[in-house]
Amino acid sequence: MCQSGFHKEGKIIRKESLRGLIFFLVFLLVLALSKSEAGLRENVYETVLPNGLKVILLENHKAPLVTFQVWYRVGSRNEVWGKTGLSHMLEHMMFKGTKKVGPEEFSRIIQENGGNDNAFTSSDYTAYFENISSDSVDVPIDLESDRMQNLVLREEDFNPEKMVVMEERRLRTDDDPQSFLSEQLDATAFQTSPYHWPVIGWMEDIRRFTLEDLKSYHRMYYNPANAFLVVVGDFKKEVLLQTIKEKFGQVPKGQAPTQARDKDPVQTGERRVFTKKEAQLPFIIMGYHIPNLTSPDSYVLEVIAEILSGGKSSRFYKNLVHNKQLVLDADADNSLLSKDPGLFMLSAEPLPGKETAEVEKALDQEIERLKSEPVGDNELQKAKNGIEASFVYGQDSLFYQAMLLAEHEIALDWRSIDDYIPSIRRVSADDIMRVTKSYLNNDNRTVGILIPLPPKTEKNIPGDGSIKERVIR
Amino acid sequence: MRAPRRFIFLLFICLLFISWCSESDVIALPVVQKSILPNQLVILHAEDHSLPFVTLELLVDGGSRSDPPGQEGLSYLTAKGLLLGTSVHSAGRINEDIDYLGASINTSSGKDYSTLTLRVLKKDLEKGLDIFMEVLTKPTFPDEEVRREKEKTIAGIQAEDDQPGEVAEKEFRKALFRTSPYGHPVNGTKESIPKITRDSMDRFYKSYYRPNNCVLAVSGDISAEEVKTGLMPRFSSMLAGEVPPASFTSVFAKGPETIKVNKEITQANIIIGSEGISRGNPDFYAVSVMNYILGGGGFASRLLEEIRNKRGLAYSIDSFFDTGKYPGSFQIVLQTKNASAGEAISLALQQMELIRKEPVSDKELDGARKYLIGSFPMLIDTQAKLTDFLLRVQYYGLGLDFPEKYPSLIQSITKEDVLRVAKKYLHPEDYILVVVADLKESGMNTAAYFRKISDQKDITQHDLGITVYNITPRLQKELNIEDNRGIVVTAVRPDSPADAAGMKVGDVILQIDRKPVGSVKDFESIIGRWEDTRIIELLVKRLGKSSYVVIGSYLNTI
Repeated sequence: MCQSGFHKEGKIIRKESLRGLIFFLVFLLVLALSKSEAGLRENVYETVLPNGLKVILLENHKAPLVTFQVWYRVGSRNEVWGKTGLSHMLEHMMFKGTKKVGPEEFSRIIQENGGNDNAFTSSDYTAYFENISSDSVDVPIDLESDRMQNLVLREEDFNPEKMVVMEERRLRTDDDPQSFLSEQLDATAFQTSPYHWPVIGWMEDIRRFTLEDLKSYHRMYYNPANAFLVVVGDFKKEVLLQTIKEKFGQVPKGQAPTQARDKDPVQTGERRVFTKKEAQLPFIIMGYHIPNLTSPDSYVLEVIAEILSGGKSSRFYKNLVHNKQLVLDADADNSLLSKDPGLFMLSAEPLPGKETAEVEKALDQEIERLKSEPVGDNELQKAKNGIEASFVYGQDSLFYQAMLLAEHEIALDWRSIDDYIPSIRRVSADDIMRVTKSYLNNDNRTVGILIPLPPKTEKNIPGDGSIKERVIR
Repeated sequence: MRAPRRFIFLLFICLLFISWCSESDVIALPVVQKSILPNQLVILHAEDHSLPFVTLELLVDGGSRSDPPGQEGLSYLTAKGLLLGTSVHSAGRINEDIDYLGASINTSSGKDYSTLTLRVLKKDLEKGLDIFMEVLTKPTFPDEEVRREKEKTIAGIQAEDDQPGEVAEKEFRKALFRTSPYGHPVNGTKESIPKITRDSMDRFYKSYYRPNNCVLAVSGDISAEEVKTGLMPRFSSMLAGEVPPASFTSVFAKGPETIKVNKEITQANIIIGSEGISRGNPDFYAVSVMNYILGGGGFASRLLEEIRNKRGLAYSIDSFFDTGKYPGSFQIVLQTKNASAGEAISLALQQMELIRKEPVSDKELDGARKYLIGSFPMLIDTQAKLTDFLLRVQYYGLGLDFPEKYPSLIQSITKEDVLRVAKKYLHPEDYILVVVADLKESGMNTAAYFRKISDQKDITQHDLGITVYNITPRLQKELNIEDNRGIVVTAVRPDSPADAAGMKVGDVILQIDRKPVGSVKDFESIIGRWEDTRIIELLVKRLGKSSYVVIGSYLNTI
């Protein structure tokens, strides 16, 4: 159904003359464009149900689609030693059925309604989403409210799914040298913080999970007080809210567990971790401890990341990729929306024949330059333009819009999205120098280096000549 | 947004005017306008004023299949070359200007065509278009920049060797397509890239980057009037020219063929595949439905159900038909721990066999159709997806009314259609198999290994500790068995009586207790119920030599 984006008026007006109408169409388009500066606070509707479930709604009628998302305030940071990866395991098990819906029926039902669904787990949250046509939005409401409350955990589904998660670990980490290094780096940079262990968990922990572990975890973390909904797209707020209240309203309240977790004490000396794996090229990553968006410095770091690696005229690309021809790729990544303080990450992949030490030196030079030389006006403005433009482009995707709202909500409050652009605009050259000096220091960093091992040469494996078979390496 | 009443009323009318409400069987597509310039450039334009930015994507009909032999990667480098400097500005200056606008300009290359894409905020559209036109019409392919780009490309190729999935894909395509233009990687090889010069890039550019060989798609915050006055005059300055005719011979390798690559990894990366179809093949829609049910439909697919859900053997498994202007490939791709490689391959082949033998169920057919039709709007729900889509519609000649036609094209597919295309396009006997794994751990470093390609009746896991199969022509070929008499051992359980007696995978059993064995049925009836106290004598052929094996209380080895 066509809907206006505004919930104020719904009356049909009297006919206007066609000419006047066209005039106003043009007028409106101009107005609409200038209005795009307005913040989300005015467009997003928030309410909290009696059972504690927060509901965040944003209408967007450019296409007959909706993204419906359920976010649970639980991630690997909520886990305990010996049972790491439990949040992610539970995410997998959430698809194994309820009293009403059989194992793996969930996705089949969504797909039969022309929708896509999936889920993802991070250190801070577990999120479930369905992207579906507007006229089928009741389907995910029904299914999600059902599995929030009535999940059935069976041994016969659990055992193969544990194996699936182990395969996932092999695919994503064990057989991916750079990813493996990243895991090592986190484990070295974070010691007391639960960011120490990977989201997917250690392999042995995964092997050891019991059904009881899952049941108690689900009980503890999967309740309305510890979750929120984000819905973005083509719906009418009043109608949607009715259905949401009906279905989710009946889920019993439960308790939101405390979320405070240990943070690492200040790191007072550089740490290094090496890993040797069969690989073609080396890899180097450097993680510096930084604050999240609760500190204004985090926005300065956003700008720093953009200056270093945003686009082909960025410092890393110009100097390391192009001029010095040291690396295939180099990146700087901030951690604005981490619930606990995260890391500012530099990464680089040396070109064949280049030494890691040389690359490290070049990265260090870039950091030192930021400390000693104020960034010029033009370069600073360029970085801000890049960030602002990305922010606009990102709103083209309903899914991404919802995700951004949700990530802000997890880290702090969804309203903090409206602080993003203004905070970016406020960053000065002095801020950049100050922040670089404060955080991007060797004593505060952990360096991870992948040392590539050459592939093992094997003796010729005997094969029958008549079988068309080739064995390589 | 707090807005005056009149604004809201008229915006409501405006929205009614611009978009139209969709019924469940009509797909809403933004209005698309098609124009053809005098120089034959096709322009497709779809407006969407919800956000203040514009996306422009130009398709050039010169992808990697147009690479001359020995210069694989030429189309890729030429596309990259557009951004390496023009007669007016250096690459550095262009990058600076683009970044300052917060815009992006990128090229991408595929087997059939390459694309040049601009994304820019509406307020900077004119400047963005200036840059777009400049890189498109005035590239100079400077020596030094070209050299750097080539080195980067070679490094990128080298880095791909760290991705076992990439390694598998390259081996597969090499094996399947042989010398056909689809056989080489789009970004070339370590051997071909050094041979490419800035002159060859320039020649490729002059040959293919002609308006009569291109399609332009524009979406976002740009009106028809702006396209007419702001865009068309710019593109009209491009000169049409003769384009080399496409020459393409589809030469597919006929299986069976197996390629094994050894890597010290924990998972076997497996591809099972064969010849596929082109986008223009009328069976495309039936194939889409069939593939969804087999392995393309995620959690609604059979492969995922059998291999992941039921047995936990894989995290990622799917099947797809890679369709291009010319016939591409069909692939089943999965990763599983090394030790499970054989089992996973067997199961995948079983599913290929099954969908060729029996019609799919009503539920499966219905689910496939519902998904393919219902999910269509999500193919075009961002500017980038929309421009991609428009280009594909034009390139493959689908017609701009394609969104209206699509539901009935899918709805009309029957169980018989699915069965027919499964039989026609799936080859459980003649496939190409690629395994990138720790070959020792996966048990694949022996010359003889097997796959289960027939149904449950033909296999037996016996208390003796062996699994046996009837010898099919394929197994015969694979295991180099001279005649198809007897049955073949495909697994030996550790510490079983057969293991103790020295039986091995690949052994062919010709007799049991001097009685000839022609099939698994014979085996079953002769063996009957095995008891520990029994002694049986098997005549076994291994690698051409026959000898007797005694299994039972007296242990003997060959």
